Amino acid sequence: MAGLTDITRSTVGKKLLNGLTGLLLCGFIVSHLTGNLLLLVGREAFNQYAYFLHSLGHGAVVPIMEVGLVMLFGAHAISGISVARSRRRARPDGYKKSANAGGTSRKSLASRSMIVTGTVLLIFVILHVAQFKLGWGQLRDYPDVMIDGHASVDLYSRVVDWFNWAPMVGLYVVVMLMLGNHLRHGFWSAFQTLGANNPRYENLINTAGMLFAAAMAVGFLLIPIYIFLFVEPTAGSSLAAG
Amino acid sequence: MAGNEFSVKLLIWRQSGPAQPGELASYTMDNVLPEMSLLEMLDLLNEKLTAEGIDPVAFDSDCREGICGTCGLVINGIAHGPHSGAATCEVRMRSFSDGETIVIEPFRAASFPVIKDLVVDRAAFDRIMQAGGYVSINTGSAPEANSIPVPRPHAESAMDAAACIGCAACVAACPNASASLFTSAKISQYAQLPQGRAEAKRRVVRMVDAMDEEGFGNCSNHGECEAVCPKEISIFNIGRMRREYLKAVL
Amino acid sequence: MNDVTVQSASAAPGPLKSGAPDGPIEDRWDNYKASMKLVAPANRRKHKIIVVGTGLAGGSAAATLGEMGYNVQSFCISDSPRRAHSVAAQGGINAAKNYQNDGDSIYRLFYDTVKGGDFRARESNVYRLAQCSVNIIDQCVAQGVPFAREYGGTLANRSFGGVQVQRTFYARGQTGQQLLLGAYSALVRQIDAGTVTMHAHHEMLDLVMVDGVARGIVTRNLNTGEIQTHAADAVLLCTGGYSPVFFLSTNAVNCNATAGWRCYKRGAHFANPCYTQIHPTCIPQGGDYQSKLTLMSESLRNDGRVWVPRKTDETRPPQQIPEDDRWYYLEEIYPAFGNLVPRDIASRAAKMVCDKGHGVGSSGFAVYLDFAEAIGRLGKDTVASRYGNLFDMYREISDEDPYSTPMRIYPAPHYTMGGVWVDYDLMSTIPGLFVAGEANFSDHGANRLGASALMQGLADGYFVAPATASNYLASNKMDDVTTDAPEFAAAEAGVRDDVNRLLNINGKRTVREFWWELGRVMWDKVGMARNAAGLESAISEIQGLKEEFWTDVNVPGSQDEWNKTLETAGRVADFLELGELMARDALERNESCGGHFREESQSQEGEAMRDDDNYSHVSAWEYRGPDQPPTMHKEALDFDYVKPGTRSYK
Repeated sequence: MAGLTDITRSTVGKKLLNGLTGLLLCGFIVSHLTGNLLLLVGREAFNQYAYFLHSLGHGAVVPIMEVGLVMLFGAHAISGISVARSRRRARPDGYKKSANAGGTSRKSLASRSMIVTGTVLLIFVILHVAQFKLGWGQLRDYPDVMIDGHASVDLYSRVVDWFNWAPMVGLYVVVMLMLGNHLRHGFWSAFQTLGANNPRYENLINTAGMLFAAAMAVGFLLIPIYIFLFVEPTAGSSLAAG
Repeated sequence: MAGNEFSVKLLIWRQSGPAQPGELASYTMDNVLPEMSLLEMLDLLNEKLTAEGIDPVAFDSDCREGICGTCGLVINGIAHGPHSGAATCEVRMRSFSDGETIVIEPFRAASFPVIKDLVVDRAAFDRIMQAGGYVSINTGSAPEANSIPVPRPHAESAMDAAACIGCAACVAACPNASASLFTSAKISQYAQLPQGRAEAKRRVVRMVDAMDEEGFGNCSNHGECEAVCPKEISIFNIGRMRREYLKAVL
Repeated sequence: MNDVTVQSASAAPGPLKSGAPDGPIEDRWDNYKASMKLVAPANRRKHKIIVVGTGLAGGSAAATLGEMGYNVQSFCISDSPRRAHSVAAQGGINAAKNYQNDGDSIYRLFYDTVKGGDFRARESNVYRLAQCSVNIIDQCVAQGVPFAREYGGTLANRSFGGVQVQRTFYARGQTGQQLLLGAYSALVRQIDAGTVTMHAHHEMLDLVMVDGVARGIVTRNLNTGEIQTHAADAVLLCTGGYSPVFFLSTNAVNCNATAGWRCYKRGAHFANPCYTQIHPTCIPQGGDYQSKLTLMSESLRNDGRVWVPRKTDETRPPQQIPEDDRWYYLEEIYPAFGNLVPRDIASRAAKMVCDKGHGVGSSGFAVYLDFAEAIGRLGKDTVASRYGNLFDMYREISDEDPYSTPMRIYPAPHYTMGGVWVDYDLMSTIPGLFVAGEANFSDHGANRLGASALMQGLADGYFVAPATASNYLASNKMDDVTTDAPEFAAAEAGVRDDVNRLLNINGKRTVREFWWELGRVMWDKVGMARNAAGLESAISEIQGLKEEFWTDVNVPGSQDEWNKTLETAGRVADFLELGELMARDALERNESCGGHFREESQSQEGEAMRDDDNYSHVSAWEYRGPDQPPTMHKEALDFDYVKPGTRSYK
């Protein structure tokens, strides 16, 4: 008889997995944005926040969360790709003329481009982690800063320097717009997928989804743009020299 | 009468058999009347083609009042054409204008092989139903009808789902060729009635498995299915199917 | 079998016996069932039963026989069993539940049905039908059919024409669909269980008889053209009615008489072919392009008022015609039942007022069905909740808004009470050939009441045919017969010949043209009013048309493919013969009863006059070959309980 393994086997199971991981990821980006907005407050606040996170549970919480996030992103991506891949198998010969039905249809640019925005976001997340967590391709070496008597990474300087480079800001703007687009369909869709949508609340969920998508996109956009416009690069960075 | 007549250009998918390649063929129909149904216009086209020695266009229909689910054409890119809440047979020619080109194609999905021209084989839907689209009750073993009260809102909501005519427009319209709306409508009908609860878990798992085995795509929550559904079956039923599925596997 | 009189092929006209049991009417079916022979559960799977058709009767019968354990082979012409034309029944299904406490009972349903049928039905059958009605509702509710409910959760009922109680159960305007999907669900369950093998998109083109007994059928696969034979111990025909003999009717375009007609030509008697129901509330005819007429449910007459202008030269739009200038003719002529008189009476009254020049619309063949009073009394929302889907359908077709403009309606062919003659066991004059639902000559006499077709289809399919077919199998020794028997090859060859003949005429006229022309003759001369001269001319016109058909029809395409024209050609060929038999039957029955109105037999006010002295019988026609007229046999009708009287709805 049926068991939890069915979740990974059937189309409905995969969709449920996709919706559930999507909602959890929404939770993650909210907390990620909240923390990162400290970049706008200043060096002290942000670096202290970074140190605080890494010191939680004697340093054990972050690695556990990271493993969890990798699994979340992985499951979300795999289930999402499987939904998209089913399309070609299920309709190998397309229509000569196609049109949108209109009416109550929720089909939109956002819903049609989930796999595109999702793929871009997946690549982005990998690069984003490499860029800021692992410090790949960073513009110079950043000496540790001391917080509460402990040495900690100067993440603030790393971010500020990257976001003083116009092409990087441009890239983030494009990707964050895609994130907004992804969430614009994804937030509502997750509720629908989990069977939590219903006629009475659909408008509410849909509006909340749009506000959420806009808030996340604007919030994340604000950081690179603000830094590019108002925060000087750190001394010693190539950008500062230039 | 004659004052109302107009002409349309038709681009119709012609395919002589399941294994043969197909293409759009072009025809012109004059003397079209606004009150004619689209299928009546095709009847007359076939009369004309027969007289000209051309093989008539194969299309299927039966009740011609939107309830049997036999007809189903993609008209100008939209399953069942421009009217919402209507089947192909309910489309009237007054929806089109003089000189307009009307593109007519079959419902396309790997699970619905073309039999000829605009006719496809939808037996996959029956196989999904066989997997659990029923309440297991033998003739003669039913209790007195009023012994189980069903709250009116539940009965009404079950009826909304039960209204499905199995036409497969949902699959035709879905960008993924998913059969989720069709399958969920039946699951949802029974899920809301006390009669259907006893085997709800077995039903949802078996029907979803059957749907997958037929090769339909997954659902992306576009909602095109609901928009073309002649009975306006809501995608909330898909949500309910997923909830039932979750309950069954947890 | 119990008292089955099987007519041999050479029989002179003689009385047919129904084989109905004796005794008090309320005990007949129960006593009879108790006396039936049974097939042991382990032996049932050895018996193969063919069920043709998957509507309410065929779907429910195949499912029930499968549940009992028989090896059932189910056939339908549509691409799925769920699409049979029962799906289109709108209004409801009657049952003597008396949930509304308005004095209903099995006896009253029986009484209403015998009276509604104008005393031309078998009492025993009708009583059994009324008994089964209560079980049908139980069964359907248990299947999850979402009938309308009261707020307390109990089942709701509404009124229907011809009766004074509320006994009609309904699922919005889609009752037939929901009941059919219930039967379909039971059927797919048995397909899944392996007791029923489904053959969708197969058309039965002949009956195979071995030693005078029905033992199989010949079919054509409508997708591929493949012609096959199938052997069985019994054949159950549930293939519906033949209204499309009129070309334009409320039936689906694929409804046909072919299965029953081919059985007729194998020796099954065809009963009361002239009894056709012309439904009063349909959207009127438009142009020659039209392919069907759309029914507006009879339930509309619950709140809609039927009227025409009193002046024959009225030119004002309906809303501007004052009350005094409106003729609410049904309310005036039939005050007791008003707009809810039975269908035959409502239809004839509409024809009468239109013939007198009161008709409306461009053709003058339509009457108004007006909801202004109901909208004033109940509010637009209530009217919309009751009839919204029908109003939408009307607007879609007519481009007029029935909330503000009265609907225009006119009668249209809808249901055929006639059909293959069957005894009390639902067995035809061919042993082993059972016929259920609209395909048999049925329990409705000369006129069917609204919401009774669904009841009869399901009573036959769930309860009667499975019991009587079992009795037949248990009572008769079944020789092993396979499709290797020469009779199968011969029948198959015959079907191939017919098909090839149609394809090789290569004439100039299309199948549709012949069908359309036949329909016009039938409607004009064998329609709502008939007279001897018209019927005689119809017979010769149809014969001429038939001859022309077989020399000048053009059937394009080939045998071995999807070929709708070929399918239709075979059906039209049968309609051409059936149409002639209908005219013959109508000519022979020189009385007016139910749906059969002979102009020679009417009162001074134009009301139908029955002739019980000469016509209180079923007319069952026996095929005598292509060159001979058929022979008529009579089954006398006895009325022990409901004494025939003038059917008054005034």
